[in-house]
Amino acid sequence: MEESTSFFCNLGVLDSLSDDGVQEILNTYAQFSAATQALLNGIGRLSLRSEFVAHVQSLCKHGLESLILNHFLRSLQENFEINGASEFWRHFDAYENIAILNTSNLPHSEEEVREVLCKALEEISSKKKCQEEFLSILVHALQSSRYDLMEKGRQYDSETEVVRLFAKYQLLVSSVLMATLPRHFPDLLHWYFKGKLEELSAIMAGELNEDYKFQCKDDMELDGKGRISSKSGQKDFNECYQLEKFSNIDKLVKSIGKVVLDLRNLGFTSMAEDAYASAIFSLLKAKVDSLADDDYRSSVLEPIKEWIKAVPLHFLHSLLAYLGNSAGNNSPFHSLKSSLAPCASSFNSGVDTPEGLIRWQSRLEYFAYETLQDLRIAKLFEIIVDYPDSSPAIEDLKQCLEYTGQHSKLVESFISALRYRLLTAGASTNDILHQYVSTIKALRTIDSAGVFLEAVGEPIREYLRGRKDTIKCIVTMLTDGTGGNSNVSGNTGDSLLEELNRDEEGQENVGIDDDFHADDKQAWINASRWEPDPVEADPLKGGRTRRKVDILGMLVSIIGSKDQLVNEYRVMLAEKLLNKSDYDIDSEIRTLELLKIHFGESSMQKCEIMLNDLIDSKRTNSNIKATINLPSQTAVDLKESVISMNDLDATIISSNFWPPIQDENINLPASVDHLLTDYAQRFNEIKTPRKLQWKKNLGTVKLELQFEDRELQFSVAPVHAVIIMQFQHKKSWSARSLAAAVGVPVDVLSRRINFWVNKGILSESRTADSTDHVYVLVESMIDTSKNVSNNGNNEDLMVGEDEGEGSVASVEDQIRKEMTVYEKFILGMLTNFGSMALDRIHNTLKMFCVADPSYDKSIQQLQSFLSGLVSEEKLELRDGMYLLKK
Amino acid sequence: MFGVQKEWHAVASWTWNAQDETCGICRMAFDGCCPDCKLPGDDCPLIWGACNHAFHLHCILKWVNSQTSQAHCPMCRREWQFKG
Repeated sequence: MEESTSFFCNLGVLDSLSDDGVQEILNTYAQFSAATQALLNGIGRLSLRSEFVAHVQSLCKHGLESLILNHFLRSLQENFEINGASEFWRHFDAYENIAILNTSNLPHSEEEVREVLCKALEEISSKKKCQEEFLSILVHALQSSRYDLMEKGRQYDSETEVVRLFAKYQLLVSSVLMATLPRHFPDLLHWYFKGKLEELSAIMAGELNEDYKFQCKDDMELDGKGRISSKSGQKDFNECYQLEKFSNIDKLVKSIGKVVLDLRNLGFTSMAEDAYASAIFSLLKAKVDSLADDDYRSSVLEPIKEWIKAVPLHFLHSLLAYLGNSAGNNSPFHSLKSSLAPCASSFNSGVDTPEGLIRWQSRLEYFAYETLQDLRIAKLFEIIVDYPDSSPAIEDLKQCLEYTGQHSKLVESFISALRYRLLTAGASTNDILHQYVSTIKALRTIDSAGVFLEAVGEPIREYLRGRKDTIKCIVTMLTDGTGGNSNVSGNTGDSLLEELNRDEEGQENVGIDDDFHADDKQAWINASRWEPDPVEADPLKGGRTRRKVDILGMLVSIIGSKDQLVNEYRVMLAEKLLNKSDYDIDSEIRTLELLKIHFGESSMQKCEIMLNDLIDSKRTNSNIKATINLPSQTAVDLKESVISMNDLDATIISSNFWPPIQDENINLPASVDHLLTDYAQRFNEIKTPRKLQWKKNLGTVKLELQFEDRELQFSVAPVHAVIIMQFQHKKSWSARSLAAAVGVPVDVLSRRINFWVNKGILSESRTADSTDHVYVLVESMIDTSKNVSNNGNNEDLMVGEDEGEGSVASVEDQIRKEMTVYEKFILGMLTNFGSMALDRIHNTLKMFCVADPSYDKSIQQLQSFLSGLVSEEKLELRDGMYLLKK
Repeated sequence: MFGVQKEWHAVASWTWNAQDETCGICRMAFDGCCPDCKLPGDDCPLIWGACNHAFHLHCILKWVNSQTSQAHCPMCRREWQFKG
């Protein structure tokens, strides 16, 4: 086999070989192999070396140079596999699980791993150095033999050959290691670097906190003891801390640098770089996470950048410096490295120029931007919820997005957040609208062209179009400071419209400015400021028109047309104006003026007339009252309810321009009716040929009700006033007769009268023999229960007219009536037993009331009946037990 | 109980006391205003002719001024005279 190998190399020599020669060669070769083996195993060095060199030289004489090389390299490889690599990996076997789990944060084992890693690296490096030494012995032997044989001219050639040989060896080492690389090793490296970097950043951050400082130092001390003999152990920590800090950092960087260097020598350059890069990135991510947190009121971008400069870049700077230095004076393979690992080139260049460092900086900053952007995008919904406060966060996001350009990510994630959290049945239209407005404002700062806003706003608009109260909410929001939302505190009296107008003014001022200086220079500046629409822009939707994001326009676009909005506003305005008891319309005028700016004068024409009616009414009203010459005869006629012309005001409307007003006729009290007629007459006199038509059901009445024990003030609609005035003379009315007296249908009456029932002024009850209601005046609070039980039967009621009204209430009434049968039973029980719980009463009733009216009520019905008795103060409920009230 | 109405704020609508609903010239409601006006009522009054036909003042003035000879009531073609 050896012969065949040599055959290829030295064809010419083959012919001259005798049997003895072959034998000699074979012997020498066997000896050479043995020597190689012995050498590599490290037995009896000195003699062996010269022997080895002799063998090599004699074999070379036969021209078996390449054979020797191949064999030697193969044995090196085998030796390295057995002694070097497997030993090396065996160190890390114990940590396989830990590294995979990656969750163990036991400082002890972490410490251990670091130590093991360092030790293992040291070992294998020395092994490698040893082998390199052998390799250089071989090379020397080869060179010297070749020198003897050849002429000097080929010396130069062999120099490059040596380099190639070492490169081959390097490749061999790294390939052996790579081939046997356990899976968890990169994790382990990552872990190591992460731990080290955390330590480092802790030292950097330690300036702030004294206690923390000491803790860090302790950590450092442990570290120092572990590897760097015992230098730092005895130092006094309290003095010259700053100096020590720097030395600590330096030491730490050096220890890391050594590991990196060792790894690089083993051919793990890129893996090492990956490991510390990923460690830096995970540290950076953790830092960003902790800084960004859930506080949107401060900008975090600057602190993050500062931190990047302070910690990772500082670290990299010292690391690169260290690596550069040691690379310079250490290895003979300086030029090899770049060919082995192209990544390493940046490090070498990093020594003289900070180019590598700059590259790192931009890499880290991009990563920070991206991380922060992702964080903010994920929380964008919350950020926008507290928008004006969270504008720093928005500003951050804007900068991040400018850097990363991942606007589409924002759009997607925000839309899904909107769908999930806002556009649901549970969210009130007001909230959605407020969020929409905040979204518009917030996104306007991020992207002034409004392209992404368009995309984000579409789902909201789509959804709002499906809601019935959208228009109403928009109008209230526009005109009313609170936006109709009682939850929103603070910004009352400051309607969205006014806010918009302020914004508008700001924007317009800029516009005017632009127009004002519209000379060539300004035009050039404007032109150079032009930016193309983002790629995501929808070309179908006009480009230039969306320059200025118009919030009102976007709100109107939900509804579809401004006419609808104006109409809705008119209805609301009418409602508001009709319910005014004075003529104070300043705020309405202001709102109208603002609306006119946005919607144009012509569309607000009718609203303007409505407001004008109010102004006219005020004038006419005072005019009429000043000139009317009536003796206060009405007051004399009706002594008890004194109302004079002075107390009457009127709003006179131009009904053609108002929204349709529902007209119910009611019978006003005679005194008021008189006054109204007089008033209308006077109006007719002043304004011939115009006349007045009273809308008797509209307006407001201020009432003062005096009871036995209290006085109450109300401001109510005329119907309510008329109803309650009827009770002045007669304490109890049946629904029907009251309706007739008031002059409204019974169903309208029962709807209206609920106002007084709810206020506790009237009480509603049912007579035993009919389904008609009886309304009784509650003279004093204490009388309540008495009135209910007593007055029920007094009235002579007409039967069977108001069916189907309040069916739910009647069922309840029926049950209550049936329950009263059991009242005596319950009272008797409680007299005997003292106190009883609800289910015991229930069970007892079930047991004993089997006869005539058998007890068949549910426990809930019993409970409501009992609570009725409690409120009537017949019973008492104490700790879930019912007892008789004493 | 003793109730006192302290203030009564009533609502009324005004209307022209005319026989017709709309102006015969501009076909707009009397209670509205003529096409040239913005505010109804005092700013755009009605005027009656001797023939008892009512028009917006502005409308009939325009009509009267546009006639070269004696103007006639647009409704009944009688000679137009403002009612006294």
